[in-house]
Amino acid sequence: MVSLDARRIGQLENRDTLEAKLGALREGDMIKAQVRRFSPGEQPYYETFEVPYQKWMRVLDVLIYISEELDSDLSYRWYCGSKMCGTCALRVNGREILACWAAAEPEMTIEPLRNLPVIRDLTVDRRPYEKRFLELEPWIHRDEPYPGFPEPLTHREMRFTSKALDCISCAACYSACPVVGLGDLTRFCGPAPLVQLGQAALDPRDSRERSQELIEQASIFSCVSCYRCEEVCPASIPIVSKVIEPLKALAYRTARKKPRHPQTFLGIIRRRGRIDPSELVLRVQGLRALARLRWAVSLLIRRKVNPWATVFGRPIPGIASVRRLFRTFLRTS
Amino acid sequence: MKLAYYPGCSAQSTCKELNVSTQLVASKLGLELHEYRSATCTGSREIRAVQPELFLALNTRILAMAERDGLPLMTICNTCTLNFLDVIQMLAEDKEALARVNASLAEEGLRYEGRAVVKHFLWVLLEDIGEERLRGMVKRPLAGLDVGAFYGCHITRPPGHYGFFDSRNNQALEKLNAILGARSIDYSGRTECCGFHTAAHEEAVAIKLVGKHLKNARDNGVAAIVTPCPLCHTVLDAYQPDMERDTQTRLGLPIIHLPQLVGLALGLTPEELQMDKHVVPLDLATRRKVIPIAAA
Amino acid sequence: MRELRAEALVIGGGAAGTYAALCLHRQGVAPLVISKGLVGKSGASIFAGNLVISGRVLGNTEENARDTAEFLIKYHNQFLIDQEYAKRCGQWIAEVYYPELEEAGLYLRRDDAGNVVTSPGRLRSVAANVQGNSGVPFMDLRRKQLIRAGIPMLEEVVVTALLQAESGEVCGVLALDIASGEIFCVRAKAVVLATGYADRLHRRSTGTREMSADGIALGWRAGAELVNLEMQWWHTNDVRYPANWQRMQVYPNPMLGSWKSARNVNAKGEVFFDQQEDDPLAFGPYTVQLKRLVKQVREGKARYDGDYYSGFDHVDPAEVDAYTTYAKLFKQLGLDVGRDLVETAVSAHYRQGGLLVDPATMASTVPGLFVAGGVGGHSNGLIALVTYDGKVAADSVAQHVRDRPYASLPPHKAEEEAKRLQGLLKPGATPPVRVKKMIRELMWNDMGVEKNEAGMRRALEGLQEIRAAVLPAMGVTNLTKIMNHGWLDAIDAVNMVEACELMVHSALNRTESRGPFIRTDYPEMDNESWLAQNILVPTADGGFRFEKRPYATPYFQPEFVRKDNLAVQW
Repeated sequence: MVSLDARRIGQLENRDTLEAKLGALREGDMIKAQVRRFSPGEQPYYETFEVPYQKWMRVLDVLIYISEELDSDLSYRWYCGSKMCGTCALRVNGREILACWAAAEPEMTIEPLRNLPVIRDLTVDRRPYEKRFLELEPWIHRDEPYPGFPEPLTHREMRFTSKALDCISCAACYSACPVVGLGDLTRFCGPAPLVQLGQAALDPRDSRERSQELIEQASIFSCVSCYRCEEVCPASIPIVSKVIEPLKALAYRTARKKPRHPQTFLGIIRRRGRIDPSELVLRVQGLRALARLRWAVSLLIRRKVNPWATVFGRPIPGIASVRRLFRTFLRTS
Repeated sequence: MKLAYYPGCSAQSTCKELNVSTQLVASKLGLELHEYRSATCTGSREIRAVQPELFLALNTRILAMAERDGLPLMTICNTCTLNFLDVIQMLAEDKEALARVNASLAEEGLRYEGRAVVKHFLWVLLEDIGEERLRGMVKRPLAGLDVGAFYGCHITRPPGHYGFFDSRNNQALEKLNAILGARSIDYSGRTECCGFHTAAHEEAVAIKLVGKHLKNARDNGVAAIVTPCPLCHTVLDAYQPDMERDTQTRLGLPIIHLPQLVGLALGLTPEELQMDKHVVPLDLATRRKVIPIAAA
Repeated sequence: MRELRAEALVIGGGAAGTYAALCLHRQGVAPLVISKGLVGKSGASIFAGNLVISGRVLGNTEENARDTAEFLIKYHNQFLIDQEYAKRCGQWIAEVYYPELEEAGLYLRRDDAGNVVTSPGRLRSVAANVQGNSGVPFMDLRRKQLIRAGIPMLEEVVVTALLQAESGEVCGVLALDIASGEIFCVRAKAVVLATGYADRLHRRSTGTREMSADGIALGWRAGAELVNLEMQWWHTNDVRYPANWQRMQVYPNPMLGSWKSARNVNAKGEVFFDQQEDDPLAFGPYTVQLKRLVKQVREGKARYDGDYYSGFDHVDPAEVDAYTTYAKLFKQLGLDVGRDLVETAVSAHYRQGGLLVDPATMASTVPGLFVAGGVGGHSNGLIALVTYDGKVAADSVAQHVRDRPYASLPPHKAEEEAKRLQGLLKPGATPPVRVKKMIRELMWNDMGVEKNEAGMRRALEGLQEIRAAVLPAMGVTNLTKIMNHGWLDAIDAVNMVEACELMVHSALNRTESRGPFIRTDYPEMDNESWLAQNILVPTADGGFRFEKRPYATPYFQPEFVRKDNLAVQW
């Protein structure tokens, strides 16, 4: 008996596997491609094209077929066709893909990336995205003179950088990031700019002080950890866990004024072993939290918050172990 | 069936009703929960990011307890679940780190060998109780209740753990809804982020992230939202008045913890499940659909 | 029309162009880079899979160093190279190239103990981060170096003509901004043509989307002499399907940290090539593989467009994944890299030929026009070699522009060119993208791996027909100037016809076979007559004549006069 894997329910039903995607179409089947068209000064609209499936067809092959056989005017960008240049990122059925790499599907709604201005049809202006990471000076700065070739360096030291170096700068994650999508609500620079910065900042050869860049300019602590970026990354970079979190660690370690949220969190765990969310909010927001009095009262009534526990709450029974682990594993410098 | 039980911080502070309803429902289902009272926070996103070694140690300690007792570790929070899954993987890949942590754990007689199994309550329901048995235990099918699932992130992403090309294809909660007799309604927010992890310092982000999706849920006819995560619950429920202001829409969407929804179908009352602890109350129409016949 | 100014204008944003710009900047000359695509992203430089170790660095023995030089001259250039240039280049690579790249931050892959990981054997190589993907971080570094230096870059801008002063000296260019549709000119004291080997002239080609032999067409229209245009190299291990993966290669080169390499299997299931076992020096451009494939095709066991297979079915997948990206295509096709082979086909790859240059200065035969990289006819491209060219060209340009005033642009020529471009933005019977496809089909059919006079005459006729009947009727479906790829395709199609005709003429003129240049009517390599430059010289009447100049062979010699090309082991 094959036991059910509850983590993956829906995968087979929704043809969410590579096998299902590759097997969904046979030579000659008609693909229905709804493409978002747009020209400056005009209203965007969707145009439907029917394209005959050819063996192992990719989304890019569908677009090329459209321009060679159906409408030579469709605007879309690509250069290499082999997942290296990163310029053909699009959204198919609401999910970011690389056109040159993703298998064609029976029905596709093809749209340009989000969070970037559209120049025409599927072609976006990449410059605002690039500007975001270039401000962060994503190249290594050396304090010490270069020691000569080959310089001492291990892959272990480069393990995070190496992941970041897999980035093809396609901006798929920049489109998928919900916080970038909120515009000016935060200064969060987005996942791809952080990966670009990670290429330098996580490199042990980089001696630049990055904490201000990370905390202020990149607003790294505004990442909500939703993993949308990891989900869509065509290069399979573990963006959150192998780039953004090591960068957060770097920012925290090197900042003279520690970011308040993680610092408060650590303090509470050290004292109590467990988090008390009301204490966290109070300490992080300070008086700002009290300004939302009506809200606080509504939580109080429902015993969502418990000031008594916040003030007098006792630590968990295992607090001695917690303190030992803090003594042993807390990195202070 | 006996399970080690890790409620996590939220279920013991802001979402006590989650802990209460989980224990209540577990006993109805014949699950024996063994809770580790000395278990710490898993480090949420904060310790995880800024103190990775400490994060590893805190989690390994809890995994070691479950491994010692030979019990699967049941979780009821998405973020705790992912933290455990990540730590299991990190330790499998880094034997030196495991040795360092074990050296410290030895002081309290603990040692981790890499055998822990972590299961969110949702997976226990679907895998261990199973569709057939669960259906058999339903006393009050939630017929007529239009439920929108709010998965949250860490139970369906990253792909490394869950294997989805597009995490929106997850149907675990919809499957559960069907077993319980409820109808699942599709809307834009099913697998979107609640913004909890920055809400302590940037609640405006959470409000913006979620408000539009709750509005879409309302527009699509969702009567109540079910979520497997107390962190999502906190945002969706406690910030809902702010979302109403921000979207200029009356939302009034009750947010139901996963075990509460199961509990209703098993015949427990909203009061027993402490649904009155929520900021957004059950509206009358919904209440009528979920209250056991005997109690109505 | 807007007129920009740049002391030195670099056309092309690949390895050669970006390095030329950096070197100019260091010497105090203000460069401007114009790229038809995106600097460091379009073009072929990102395809560098690994970096060959030259000279005595990273544990190379004296023998390794010699093997590398031998590879470069024999296998890589079939002796059609200035051996003194090759020597200078090799020295520079060992002494300057690697240290400079590493100092700038390039990560040459280490193991956990800190050793630089290499592929073993006679010809050793290293990788930037990961083998198969080295060009990506390499070119990303260059892009950032340019930005950091404040070097201006105009991207997705196509140069359509070199502008010349009365004296014939190149003094600027005319260009079209693809995104906005603006036509403008740039006045420059010198121009570095670094457009790469940039041609995508066959149905199957490793070239990137924007490639249309612009550099050859631009140079020719400015009166530059061209050399060895017929010397077309081929990839033998490229995935047959899907269509856009025509350059996606099952890399035959030895893998980092392994003694294994991919192998080729014919339609009968017989292994016909495994580089590490058969010939470790048979690195790109894969002439040895090609010759083996020709034999398979002649025996009916493979076709140039498929029906043979490549892969790592004899290798532990962990070994493939350790330091390479070679498994990525298998994974995406749902294949098991350790068990399955993938159907492969030939794609047109580098063109060794191009503008005739003096490799000591990278000056073309047109004053004011310098060349760097693949568009030159002096050597086959390799990322290290073309980088060296960038340096040499920059040194010469720095000399050239010193104390030189800007020549004034001949106004009527710019206007004429602008008018030509505007004339291409018109409705018409055949969409330009279809014309490009026609050219590629024609080249594939009659200028493929095996050529003969009859086929090439047919190709010429076909091209003349396109020139006479198709181009005039070509037209776009949308007259917008914003991101109009139809308009760009029309500009490309004109260049492609021009360049293809010159290539066919050159191929007809070289009456021998040499390495990947295979003529069934002249099957022998002929070192008596053709160890020589096959030079196309423009004549005053708008036509051309051929000249032949022999190469010196001071360090390596072919060791025979005439021999069946397929029997030549390199």
